[in-house]
Amino acid sequence: MPRVVLRDLRELSVTVVHPADQDGSVVLDQLRRIGCRTEAAWPPPKALPARVDVVFAGITHDHHAALKRMIRRSEPPGPAVIALIDYENPAMLQLVLDLEAVAVISKPVRPFGLLTNLVVARNAWLEQHALTSRIATLEARLSGQKRIAKAKSILMETQGISEKAAYRTIRSQAMSKRVSIDEMAVAIINANELLSSRSDDA
Amino acid sequence: MPTSQNPIHVGVLFSETGVTAVVERTQRNAVLIAIEEVNAAGGIDGREVKAIAPDPASDPRRYGEAAAELLDEGVRIIFGCYMSSTRRAVLPLIERRDALLFYPTLYEGFEYSRNCVYSGAAPNQNSLGLADHLTSHIDQRFLCVGSNYVFPYESNRIMRDLLQNRGASIVEERYLPLRPSEEEIASVIALVRKHAPVTIFSTIVGDGVTAFYRAYDNAGFDRSIAPIASLTTGEPELNAMGVSAAEMHITSAPYFSSVDRQESHDFVGRYRARHGADAAISACTEAAYFQVHLFAEAARRTGSEDPKRILAALPTFSFDAPQGAVQVDSRTNHTHLWPRLARVSSRGTFEIIEEARAPVRPDPYMVEPGHDGWDDEAAVQ
Repeated sequence: MPRVVLRDLRELSVTVVHPADQDGSVVLDQLRRIGCRTEAAWPPPKALPARVDVVFAGITHDHHAALKRMIRRSEPPGPAVIALIDYENPAMLQLVLDLEAVAVISKPVRPFGLLTNLVVARNAWLEQHALTSRIATLEARLSGQKRIAKAKSILMETQGISEKAAYRTIRSQAMSKRVSIDEMAVAIINANELLSSRSDDA
Repeated sequence: MPTSQNPIHVGVLFSETGVTAVVERTQRNAVLIAIEEVNAAGGIDGREVKAIAPDPASDPRRYGEAAAELLDEGVRIIFGCYMSSTRRAVLPLIERRDALLFYPTLYEGFEYSRNCVYSGAAPNQNSLGLADHLTSHIDQRFLCVGSNYVFPYESNRIMRDLLQNRGASIVEERYLPLRPSEEEIASVIALVRKHAPVTIFSTIVGDGVTAFYRAYDNAGFDRSIAPIASLTTGEPELNAMGVSAAEMHITSAPYFSSVDRQESHDFVGRYRARHGADAAISACTEAAYFQVHLFAEAARRTGSEDPKRILAALPTFSFDAPQGAVQVDSRTNHTHLWPRLARVSSRGTFEIIEEARAPVRPDPYMVEPGHDGWDDEAAVQ
């Protein structure tokens, strides 16, 4: 079970992208009570300040494109988005999904519930981010394996050697050229494609 | 004298019966005394303040019903509530009518309502100083014991963090029903014996306090190395359990009746003239008392009992309460208070062993801030 890391909460940098009305000020005041580093912005700025962890975003049809651009331009991995909504019709919900919000707060905003949403959103975002980078690592490893397998079969076929010997060849070549095994495999595959295309031309 | 024409009706919601009546009766008494003082001084611009004070019997549901009735009768200002569960029962109703609750009890923090003024201690005004004291003077192993409701769970969570950050360890946490049986008390005593010597952090409230301290006394643990530390055990509980059970134990609170200030002597004198020379007074009693004066001053300044205008006026002045000058914080609606630590003497009084040199700003959303204690806090203004 993840533990609520409160200390981390006070380190969070939060931007409230919402008009300076009653709801906006309830959010700002409560975040300051909680003790987050909080800034307000409206209309949606071209870009977020560096290293914003969480964005509370007022959802409107008028400013949706600008809001989405702002989020997309932020430094990766980007902020956790908490949507502030005043209708829950499907058109509005589409905007919420489109922004990939991880939590939603309905208006009129009350101070009660903001802390919970902040904690849940931050946690969901961290988990999502951890999963995404894990998937990226695994995908890279998987396609690396595929390339090495292909390079091995090229060597086995062209040189008539065993799979083990093919792998040893790739590894020793990689070591002597100071590149990774994956890069060596790519070089072998490229060279093979080049050679076989020549033989086709002939 | 104020006229009884166009009086200002205020609600007073404290229990005269039930599990936490021992403390709540003192809060009720203090509110009524303060209202008398306000009226004796001419009321609010000549208008008399009249209290409507039902008995919600320490039961959250009864609190909700009583609050609804008061609001239906047009009351906009309510003084009351002790347990967090009773505050939570009342506050949504108050918010819906945009009325104002003055809540005079320490609680576990992590709350803000535009419709509530919190005049008891937030965790940074009691737990923080207690943790500093306990880890600098006493054994570094702790057992947390509490009643089974929201305040003890969160208070113990806060205390666990504070103590662990100071290098101490928590050996176990145990919760009892609000009315614990003898067997349940005995099982906690057995737990203390198993871990002895171990300092107890107790968030037991209500009638269970007496039973627990007495059982601890009978078990004969050495209190010079293993006292019970608490945020809630005050004079009313002390009087109920007797000197033998109470001696040497430690409480952290912004006020004890032994505070040596003229305002404190006056308050204690007036209270005891009314309720008897032995009448118990705790920080909860004092907070109930001064918040009526905060309300009255704000009402005089705005010429109105409108909750919004009262709230706007409250942070603009300080009031010389028995504990020292207090002032409502505009950002949190909590109150700047004077943290103190006291140990029960052999005469059965709270002997103050540490006190803040300036009022401490409330921080209801406190997280362990890498803080060195009360002395670093900026004074009010």
